[in-house]
Amino acid sequence: MIVAEDLTKVYTMGRVEVRALGGVSLSVAKGEFVGIMGASGSGKSTLLHILGLLDRPTSGTVAIDGTNVLALSDRRRTLFRLNRLGYVFQDYALIGELTALENVYLTSLVRGDPKEEYLKKSVEILERVGLGDRIDHRQSELSGGEQQRVAIARALVNSPSILLADEPCANLDSQTSKSILDLFARLNEELDQTIVMVSHEDWHKEYFCRIVTLRDGLIEEMTECRRA
Amino acid sequence: MLEGLRVSAFLAWKAIQRGSKGTLALTIMIIALIFVNLVFLPSIISGVVETFNTQSIDFDFGNLVVEPREGSQYISGAAGLQKKIERVPGVTGTSPRITAGVTYFYRGRNTASTLYGITPEDERSVTRIADYMTEGEFLSNGDTDAIVMGATLAGREGEEGGGLPTLEGVTVGDSVEVGYPNGETRTYRVKGIFETQSFGVDTAAFVTGQEMSDVLGLRDQASMVLVKTEVNGREEEYKTELLSYGIQENVWTFREKAGGFVDQAIQSFNIINTISTLVSLIIAVVVVFIVIFINTVNRRRQIGILKAIGIDQQIIINSYVLQVLFITAVGALVGIALNAGVTTYLTAYPLVFPGGPVYPAVEASAILRSIASLFAVSVVAGYIPAWQIVREEILSAIRG
Repeated sequence: MIVAEDLTKVYTMGRVEVRALGGVSLSVAKGEFVGIMGASGSGKSTLLHILGLLDRPTSGTVAIDGTNVLALSDRRRTLFRLNRLGYVFQDYALIGELTALENVYLTSLVRGDPKEEYLKKSVEILERVGLGDRIDHRQSELSGGEQQRVAIARALVNSPSILLADEPCANLDSQTSKSILDLFARLNEELDQTIVMVSHEDWHKEYFCRIVTLRDGLIEEMTECRRA
Repeated sequence: MLEGLRVSAFLAWKAIQRGSKGTLALTIMIIALIFVNLVFLPSIISGVVETFNTQSIDFDFGNLVVEPREGSQYISGAAGLQKKIERVPGVTGTSPRITAGVTYFYRGRNTASTLYGITPEDERSVTRIADYMTEGEFLSNGDTDAIVMGATLAGREGEEGGGLPTLEGVTVGDSVEVGYPNGETRTYRVKGIFETQSFGVDTAAFVTGQEMSDVLGLRDQASMVLVKTEVNGREEEYKTELLSYGIQENVWTFREKAGGFVDQAIQSFNIINTISTLVSLIIAVVVVFIVIFINTVNRRRQIGILKAIGIDQQIIINSYVLQVLFITAVGALVGIALNAGVTTYLTAYPLVFPGGPVYPAVEASAILRSIASLFAVSVVAGYIPAWQIVREEILSAIRG
């Protein structure tokens, strides 16, 4: 569960201060599929970066599963990201020198999981995202949709508490986008996977159980979870 | 810790395996050439020292030289002293020599140089001059009217010596007149010409000690006794041993006889070597730094991603250090192979120095020292740029 309270983020550019978040409070319960929406510059990616421990807020608190993550040292934040969070980037963010399988099991290797176990789990998860026949392909040999599936498989391989996705369909055609969203919905339903996804596409709304809309760094609207 | 290293090794290997082969090969080649440079000059210096030692022992002095006491021109009772020295354990040969500065006359030309009076059989037991005859034969014990001459002194028809004593064209069978310091003159038939490439020996000539004693009126006297020992390099020990046997004459090691000339030359070489080593290591630092810096800058985004998915920055730094270690290890191996090639070539076609041919003497300690210093500078030069880039904020690294 995520509990974020009164988050602010101010960027300083020379003498100019830009307020990306102006005091956002948000809770995400286990098993929710939350969509963070809003226009460009509304602060949605900034919020996701803070929730994903990739950035620190100027003020406010974030607790994930009861842990005050902002109080963690850099090393512990890294371990937290490794063990508790899965992150899917807009532009896939795969390691080009690794195959799909290697990209997926890399974090398991860091965790020190037994080889047989992580290989089996990685192959299974790649099959689950529909890439069972592409496991030995490198990034340059995969389409955009396939790359994003590998990124999703990588984010899920360690069974994270929360999957965070930053506009995962931004670079994909509508057909592929739909298949990615279907995959997220399936993961949410079948595995009760908590997902927080940033999007600005209206048609994505139907997939989310709850929608948080930001505007100028503030929550403009927050719906109740449809499933709840 | 071990898991972290495993991941670092995995990332490093994949980067090497699937990265640019051209850059990898070029970097390895540069490291290999730096390694060759680190090993080559010391090997030549060692070669010069070894050549000097070998030349000195084989042609000039043997291992030790026994000379008259202070105030005496000759050693009296040379035969008795010779026997005494030969009783010392480890002494394998002795050769008494009479030395005289003489003037050589040949076909209207003349030059001043050294003439040695030797016992040919004894001389063979100490020096190897007899093995280096280019024409004719070495002296025999009974020779009285024969002389053997160094190639420089004999010279070549029409070639001036360039400051060295030369008779410009003496050949075997020719007659050469020798003017002794006591005013006596003798004519000798040239029995042989030798060429040792040792400057001091090739400008001299030899007659039998018996002949020279007759001319100079000496009886059982010698200017020096050369001593050959079983093992080279332990001259100081043998010198002490000789003195402990009650030898009253002055005993010198061949190094002491050679004076400070070679020591000064070696010191100068060592200064050049130190400068060359420093320059090589600086080049190694710069090359590895640039390669890893460009590598990490190009992979800034990748480093950001690795950090974002939960990979510790030390694992990322170590992956670059391991790449550097791999490049250095392969570079050193290629360097060893190149060095073996250069050494083989220079052994077949040695560099010619005034003291004789110089063969590169590659010492294991020099190789180990070069490998260690190369690894040390490479690791530092690889670590710093990786550490700099890895410290960057995740998001700014990902954004590139």
